[in-house]
Amino acid sequence: MAVQYVLKLYVTDKTANSTKAIENFKDILKNGLKDVCELKVIDVLKNPQLAEEDKILATPALVRVFPPPVRKIIGDLSDKKKVLLGLDLTTR
Amino acid sequence: MAKKLSKVVSGIPGFDEISHGGIPKGRTTLVSGTTGSGKTAFSAQFLYKGITECGENGVFVTFEETPQDIIKNTNSFGWYINKLVKENKWVFVNASPDYSSSVEVGQYDLGAFLARIAYAVKKIKAKRVVIDSVSALFTHYQDSGVIRQELHKLAANLKEGNVTCIMTAERPLEDGQISRYGVEEFVSDNVILLHNRLNSHGERERTIEILKFRGLSHDSEEAPLLVSVQGMNIYPRPKPKLRGKGFSQKISTGIKGLDELLYGGIYKNSTTLITGASGSGKTVTTLHFIMEGAKHGEKSLLIEFEESPDQLYRNAASFGWDLKKYVDNGIVELLCHYPEDLRAEQYLQMIQDLVITKKAKRVVFDSISDIQRIYNERRFRTFVIGLNAFLKSHDVTSVFTNTTSQILGITEITETHLSTASDNIIILKYVELEGMMHRIMSVLKQRGSPHKKELVEFEITENAGVEIIGPFKGVENLMSGFARRIRQMELGKEEAERDFIAEAAAGKI
Repeated sequence: MAVQYVLKLYVTDKTANSTKAIENFKDILKNGLKDVCELKVIDVLKNPQLAEEDKILATPALVRVFPPPVRKIIGDLSDKKKVLLGLDLTTR
Repeated sequence: MAKKLSKVVSGIPGFDEISHGGIPKGRTTLVSGTTGSGKTAFSAQFLYKGITECGENGVFVTFEETPQDIIKNTNSFGWYINKLVKENKWVFVNASPDYSSSVEVGQYDLGAFLARIAYAVKKIKAKRVVIDSVSALFTHYQDSGVIRQELHKLAANLKEGNVTCIMTAERPLEDGQISRYGVEEFVSDNVILLHNRLNSHGERERTIEILKFRGLSHDSEEAPLLVSVQGMNIYPRPKPKLRGKGFSQKISTGIKGLDELLYGGIYKNSTTLITGASGSGKTVTTLHFIMEGAKHGEKSLLIEFEESPDQLYRNAASFGWDLKKYVDNGIVELLCHYPEDLRAEQYLQMIQDLVITKKAKRVVFDSISDIQRIYNERRFRTFVIGLNAFLKSHDVTSVFTNTTSQILGITEITETHLSTASDNIIILKYVELEGMMHRIMSVLKQRGSPHKKELVEFEITENAGVEIIGPFKGVENLMSGFARRIRQMELGKEEAERDFIAEAAAGKI
């Protein structure tokens, strides 16, 4: 299956919010999304210049960079429905 | 051992004076104000001058304007921030709004924001950070508790790195709460307010006020603030100390007869007020004073509101003086313009700069009433006191003129604050006597020296200027403007009346 979505997840090291966000998102991907999503996890402490380029302020932040338009969700992603809605993710 | 609190040079002229030394070092200071109060200019100048004058690199975190906008807008101050960016002395953290909206799902923090600032600070070893404005964070994010906590963390991080930080905050209204969200000020121990009000003259008046500097001293009153092509300037209220030296040396006014009335001229570094109606001879009297100094190579500053340089040259030439020559060779500095062109604070600064750079020892201000007309009373008073104190402490002998409204008759000279600030007062008047107009001159006061009390008549003649003819004797009611000769007969009558009254008082009649 071809990649349909490119996503970046910005986190701050292993803070509670960031760890939670990674777990929650992995959970979300389980339902058939895993194959169509390309996910990059970026630690802003290690790569602050990437946060600068993408103008990220809050973490965790999940950004859909492809397809356009860019969509952004901040927070620990604890509400699955809202995440899917916010990123406009559906399996095709 | 507790670290001693200190301050860093702000780079904003006048600010270090009202703040007793600058911005608190290694701490965060909140600068709050309404739209257009100058927050961005203040903080950008703090950063720019920090780099160019103190060699301290700076990080500018911008929330509202893009870095390009800031670079462009500050070009008019003659700053080239893009050059500093290229040299790795200035770094922008661009938090200006992009148009991708974000949805909040669950808990978050500002980890990326803090990381970006830390990265920028480390990259150029910055000593100064500006965040313009923190209020924007509260509009971006709903959880104000998180924002507040993260700002505290940021302030703590910067403190640890001994970085001095300015955060600006939006104020919804003048004289309302300090900042829009009411929480910004709790992030910082130090709060500066920028005011932007409409005054009673219908002009925008910007001022700055230091609300608190925890553990450090500062002025508590508002000071005027102006943004010009050179950037931002603050004009502290002059704090005059009565420290002028008491010279015993007298200098000539340039008018022989007047020097005689004053028993040898006026004291060095004294202030003289010449008061009289329009056309009574004030300007020519001041020209005598200037030319007298110029003759001996003494430099002067001539501030003229009523005549243009060419008019002055022509008038001086009619009295046989080549004023233009002295202006051209720098002995006389001439300042001619409409008083409306400048604010009192700018004006004072300009005069002070000129006196210092030109080493002027005589200053003429013709006339002070032109300034009084346009400034409110408090400003005028501050201006006069400030100017006076400055001139005295720089050993400058000054002459001010005051234009009275009445041609004839009694005029009040106490209407101007100068009357008490002046050491000497000279009155020029017209009087009518037997169908003729006469010019008279009188010394009303001279501090520290006796003076002749008589009223003298003078004329203004070609090639000589003011010429004192002599005392006006046998005439009374001169000060009223309608003089009359005292007749011998009347003198006798008056004597008889006096005797009668005296006898009546003694109970003889």
